[in-house]
Amino acid sequence: MSLHTFFELKNAVVGIAGLGGLGSNVAVALTRLKVGKLILADYDVIEESNLNRQNYFYDQIGRHKVDVSLENLRRINPEANLVGHKVRLAPDNIPRVFAEAHVVAECFDRADQKQMIVETVLSKMKNTIIVTVSGLAGFGKSNDIRTVRLSPRLVLVGDGVSGTAAGAPLTAGRVGVAAYHQANAIAEILLNDLRSVLLGNKL
Amino acid sequence: MSAKLKINGQEREFADAFPATLAELLHCLNIDRATVVAEIDGKIVPRAEFDATPLHENANIELVRFVGGG
Repeated sequence: MSLHTFFELKNAVVGIAGLGGLGSNVAVALTRLKVGKLILADYDVIEESNLNRQNYFYDQIGRHKVDVSLENLRRINPEANLVGHKVRLAPDNIPRVFAEAHVVAECFDRADQKQMIVETVLSKMKNTIIVTVSGLAGFGKSNDIRTVRLSPRLVLVGDGVSGTAAGAPLTAGRVGVAAYHQANAIAEILLNDLRSVLLGNKL
Repeated sequence: MSAKLKINGQEREFADAFPATLAELLHCLNIDRATVVAEIDGKIVPRAEFDATPLHENANIELVRFVGGG
């Protein structure tokens, strides 16, 4: 990685909404990319059933995902600038929790929650880009998962149709493909779209 | 008389049942309003305003539908 690229990512702030199968893995990728600051938000605790796809360990069951994520990410980079919010995200607190973020990663599980945060960011946070995910259940069909720019501030990852409502399982491979699409889309946004913002705004 | 709407880039003609509001359009398309983000002519329409948002002929409507999983 060139010095220039490193500098740009160091000035970036990314919010991660939800630390499940998507968020826990997106957080790992963005930590390894040395994104300057990550704002993590989740209210949940780790359950044994999460370990099939989420970046947690058996001895961490029962603990809050935010607390454990902070520990795990600091094992990757002890100097990572991380902020954790143990909170249930809603339209009234999202603009405050993610106020500093250039990009927000939507990493929720439920369809109505995905709708809620995308609507909130697009309508209330005029300078923030959101990268959201829809359609990642099941296994295989890796190449059906795509990254599409729907509008200047909205990027959609997924196949658009594979939901959990019909009983399809969430599996490590396919959720991981989507999570790394999401992390890669964020890196692309930071390095392309936000280049001038990040260079001019030395946080 | 018929009227058109552009939905996700595709023109769609409504012969005699042009939907009066965004909520009516979603009902007509069989889309669960709890899982869709809507834009009309580039402007986001909050879900709470779907019932009160009238549609005009040739409106450019983008609908982003979400399915569960994460």
